[in-house]
Amino acid sequence: MGEATTENVLEIRNLVKDFPGIRAVNDVSFDIKRNTIHCLVGENGAGKSTLIRILTGATARTDGKIYLNGKEYCAANTKDAKEKGISTLFQELNVVDQLTVEENLTLGVEDTTFGFLKKTDKIKRIVSVLNSLDPSIDPKQPVSALSVAKKQIVEIAKAVASESDIIIMDEPTAALSENEINRLFEIIRNLHEKNVTVIYISHRLDEIFQIGDYVTVMRDGRHIATKPLAEVKDRSELVKLMIGKTVFEMYHPKDIESEEKILEVKHLSNHKLNDISFDVKKGEIVGFYGLVGAGKTELARAIFGADEYRGEILFKGKKLQRTPHKAIEAGIALVPEERRTQGLFTILTIRGNIPVMNMKKISRNGFINSAKERKATLDYIDKLRIATSGTEKEVSKLSGGNQQKVVFSKCLFADSDLLLLDEPTRGIDVGAKSEIYGIIRQLSKEGKSIMIFSSELPEIVNICDNIFLLYDGSIKANIKNGADIDTEMIVHTVTGGN
Amino acid sequence: MKPNAASSITKGKMSNESYISLFMIVVLIAFFGIACLFVPNFYLPQNMINILTSFWYIIILGIGVTFLLITGNFDMSVSGVIAMTGVLAAYFCQPLSQSGDAASEMFSGLGMPYWLAVIAAMACAVLIGAVNAFFIARLKVASIIITLGTMSVSRGIGMFIAQGAQRNMNLPDEFKVLGTSYLPNTSIPLSVVIMVVLVIIAVIIEKKTVFGRRTYLIGANIKAAELCGVKVAKHLTYLYLFSAFLAGITGILIASNYIGGSAGRAQGYEFDALVVTLLGGTSINGGFGSVLGTVVGALILSVVTSAATGLLLSPDWQYILKGTVTFLAILAQRFALDKRAK
Repeated sequence: MGEATTENVLEIRNLVKDFPGIRAVNDVSFDIKRNTIHCLVGENGAGKSTLIRILTGATARTDGKIYLNGKEYCAANTKDAKEKGISTLFQELNVVDQLTVEENLTLGVEDTTFGFLKKTDKIKRIVSVLNSLDPSIDPKQPVSALSVAKKQIVEIAKAVASESDIIIMDEPTAALSENEINRLFEIIRNLHEKNVTVIYISHRLDEIFQIGDYVTVMRDGRHIATKPLAEVKDRSELVKLMIGKTVFEMYHPKDIESEEKILEVKHLSNHKLNDISFDVKKGEIVGFYGLVGAGKTELARAIFGADEYRGEILFKGKKLQRTPHKAIEAGIALVPEERRTQGLFTILTIRGNIPVMNMKKISRNGFINSAKERKATLDYIDKLRIATSGTEKEVSKLSGGNQQKVVFSKCLFADSDLLLLDEPTRGIDVGAKSEIYGIIRQLSKEGKSIMIFSSELPEIVNICDNIFLLYDGSIKANIKNGADIDTEMIVHTVTGGN
Repeated sequence: MKPNAASSITKGKMSNESYISLFMIVVLIAFFGIACLFVPNFYLPQNMINILTSFWYIIILGIGVTFLLITGNFDMSVSGVIAMTGVLAAYFCQPLSQSGDAASEMFSGLGMPYWLAVIAAMACAVLIGAVNAFFIARLKVASIIITLGTMSVSRGIGMFIAQGAQRNMNLPDEFKVLGTSYLPNTSIPLSVVIMVVLVIIAVIIEKKTVFGRRTYLIGANIKAAELCGVKVAKHLTYLYLFSAFLAGITGILIASNYIGGSAGRAQGYEFDALVVTLLGGTSINGGFGSVLGTVVGALILSVVTSAATGLLLSPDWQYILKGTVTFLAILAQRFALDKRAK
């Protein structure tokens, strides 16, 4: 790779980031041209967010180099990154609601005399930047009175005023209306006049075409392509780059199909979900595929009784009561989305984790039978091949894959007939992944029904018999899995295409 | 993914809990040894018995506080509940008013038999626990705020009933029995026996029951506990009722010991109960700790207090000494755990 030039504001060379058991960013190199809008796309787990976290100083790289304006760049934290010229517009906005717009803009850069604030040219200059971006925002008004879109503009103004070279925008349109999006885009397009480069991340591919100059596609931690958007034919070309070649030979249709309905969901709606209806049959593996925010987790939690909903859910023909406790009693278990924060008791031992969903099996009249408890734990360590030195190991000391096996053991120990698996293989290595797929297939053979909620397409098409596509809280399509499955159509649908 | 050789011997390695308990026992013995060197007659058997038995009330309170702290919650109301229960027990069993004039008010009460007065006073104590539980478990308000509030309210009820002083007139003879009896032919008070029985029950609940196990689950990860079917609100409710019940028992015993219910009794006990719990290794973040550790913590505090008295330090110095030792012991504990983790 050549010397750093002034044409490129940012050059990334052979960047690597390893997490235990997984390489999240794998030898990534590409350039970002000065004063352009550079889009970054890829499926979940493609490595985009890790890359961004390295740029903003939220995480440290394992290896590789980054050049900003031709100089080597490394940020210790987000504040350091900002001082060096990279600002970020996070999804969680970084404004103080109680203060006025002006106070927010000058927060942290105020000039003081003996601790008292001074009105200086600096403040005037910052306010004038805001004025040039959006004259309709009054600097004296409290931030709490602004819409999300205007708050974002305030943050952009702050970044521009602090002479950032690059502003990273992570899904900035997620909470905006169409009009607001257009207004925001106008501002983003004009940023090059102020010598600002934008790194724009979004799952909404249409936006990429609307606003981007360049696009970089990542997949499985690798850099796949960087090209001018003018050279990209249409969204399906982008989709192809994003998903690559999916391997299908792993899927085998079932020999016998049961007609016995185990779960019937009728007109389910809540804050996130919109009139969802479907059935799950005995022994069936059903997949729900959609992007982040499509409503997968909310659907799993509603069925499990962890979230409120309108509508009706029948399990084994009976109306399901709406608490996790009752769901477990009825025969439903949930592998939650985040294993560390929702699935595991990481400071407890493996023995302290595995039996918790079904204490009756290891106790009598409320008293625990230690022998039974130990045996049950050993059984599952053996059955799921959890790599550990014994039952007394703290779960926090296991690798991601083995932790996930503990979560599975916990759910299997509950003897459920229906398993809800929310992102069952997120953040675990390939070996553990295929073991978990093996467990899922085995369970299905034993007559258990399984629902997989995933944002990884290969996972969905490789093991699910029946696939539902979710977008924005609604089911957009239902596909029977088979040889002729059209993955491009699937990605097209879940990114909001018709 | 193979377990590495170094960690494959964990089978014989003790758990963090046993490690901390052992560590604090060593600290206890060290403090005791130092005290024996500097304080005259510290090693005498009678003094040892005093050390073992003098903090029975902190240990009883510590049981409830430990269980709650394991779930990540505080109970600061216990001292107020002690004062209130003591005053109420006295008030309930004082004879009914004869004349009705204001002066005789402190001499007269509701005229219940003593056993009924105890039950009624305990019911009031548990009611304070129910108030705690309602706000903390159901409405999910921060436990430290609510229990500081109920501490004040319950002591306030005591103040109101005792008119800012104490009720010690016209009490039935049975009133003093619980608090002033000893095991036959020994100098061990009945209160200490009750404490030992309560500790044994608590240890069994903690180690051997599903209830005990769920207490740890809530503290280790409340979200995961909910998704594993633990009824968190119900569980916390039981624990607050239990803690208030223990404070009630303590209140009855202390009032009986002093033969009168005083609204000013037990100032600062909520703090001592929390300190011994922390000294005993229970994590302030929840999910970790034990009742036996709390007992060790109470003994450490007892040795320190007793040594301070032996050295004829004035009471103002004792507070500073107590605080310093608490800091040191907790720092040492943190240090030991961090070092072990490496």
